[in-house]
Amino acid sequence: MATPVYDILIIGSGPAGATSARFAAKMGLKVLLIDKRQELGAPIQCSGAVSRHALEEAGVEPNAEFIHEDIYGFSIYNQEGKSTVIDYREIKPDEYGKGDERKPLGYVVDRRRFDRYLMTQAERAGVEVWLKTEGLGYTPGKDGSCEVQLRRFNRLLKVKAKVLVGADGLQSQAGKWANLRTHIPLRNLASCLQFIVDGVETNGLLEIITGHRWAPGGYAWVFPKGNGYTEIGLGVVRTMTNRDAQWHLDQFIQKSFFKERFKNARILEIQGGGVPLAAPLRTQYADNLILVGDAARHVNPITGGGIHTALSGGRIAGEFLAELIQSGKKTGKANLKSYQDRWLEAGGHKIWQLYGEKTAIFRNKDIHLRDEQLYQTMSGYFSPDSTYKKI
Amino acid sequence: MARKEPVVFFIGWNACINCGACVAVCPQDAGFISAFDTIAVNTPCDIVCMACEKICPVSTITHQKANERHETHAA
Repeated sequence: MATPVYDILIIGSGPAGATSARFAAKMGLKVLLIDKRQELGAPIQCSGAVSRHALEEAGVEPNAEFIHEDIYGFSIYNQEGKSTVIDYREIKPDEYGKGDERKPLGYVVDRRRFDRYLMTQAERAGVEVWLKTEGLGYTPGKDGSCEVQLRRFNRLLKVKAKVLVGADGLQSQAGKWANLRTHIPLRNLASCLQFIVDGVETNGLLEIITGHRWAPGGYAWVFPKGNGYTEIGLGVVRTMTNRDAQWHLDQFIQKSFFKERFKNARILEIQGGGVPLAAPLRTQYADNLILVGDAARHVNPITGGGIHTALSGGRIAGEFLAELIQSGKKTGKANLKSYQDRWLEAGGHKIWQLYGEKTAIFRNKDIHLRDEQLYQTMSGYFSPDSTYKKI
Repeated sequence: MARKEPVVFFIGWNACINCGACVAVCPQDAGFISAFDTIAVNTPCDIVCMACEKICPVSTITHQKANERHETHAA
């Protein structure tokens, strides 16, 4: 069989990969999107919170197919239970709420349905999608394109592309193939665990609980999950505690100021993952290769939020590659550097600033002071006049 | 400093939630992964940083010294 040839090959059909694919295909590129799983988004490693603005910016129509529940604001708690409530239904009642002309601030999505929806939108834009297909390596060639080795339903095959897009998540292998410095140190990766539960009430707010006692190095959360279900989770940094996330989550549920509220919680699902509270990669490109989404650490290092940044980074990557390839320019690293520059300009610099703030907080050895700083920073971050509102 | 003795990791699959955090924190080169999206289980690790064991949310990664490896664990 002749080697199939594409303009771009994208590894990983999460929000970053599928969005890169959709924008590139819309602008006329021939795109192949692969994913090693049989079912996207599973096992779930994400809490699923995303702003409406983030969806709209990436051309994604909010759709009941993937929305678990509408969100109208935040409630930030300190360790003892004191809270700052930022409810947009009260701040801007004409704009936010249920019913005519009013909208939610954001959503908690089902990542299984959300990722599949984004893949479908990419397919409808002309992208070819192969599931059960994993990337094994890539080799830049003399003709200006690269050869990518794949395994599809156990069959080894090769594909040629001008650019390989590594959208293969936190566990990215694509970046390692290109010898990029992708390693996340233990102190910058939160170890997270969450339970989807029945029997705990919520009120359309994302609740964030700070404090070293419950979640050293990270925070705990209580998110509405639709159909009366609730997500209770937390992330801890293991250089700051000798206990694992499971132990901390049990403590939070049984001993925190929410223990009465949680006493009838019944676990329906168990999910977990690593959340990078890290800086973006300093180099997100190589010859015939760019990284996007979690693979490039396009993640908010204060909140750990990564859907918005994956969607916006995906759009930048897709549009950039379409412009570059259609102009006939070479796809070596010298030209692909402009992708990273564009990403930095569009919001990447702000992620670096947030990383600086986060690092400054956790460098503080005084736990009490650090807790207070984290509480203030989180409360400020989600306030309507925050300069980081749209990250 | 003496070189650390290589180890082989063992994953208690019953508790594993397939979250991938162990792979994300692993400083090894590409390919040090299992078919189930965890760190490799049949390949000796000579870095021995133990970051994978620490990051695991459910503490289901353990190890044996590679040269003392027994075939006692049922997979």
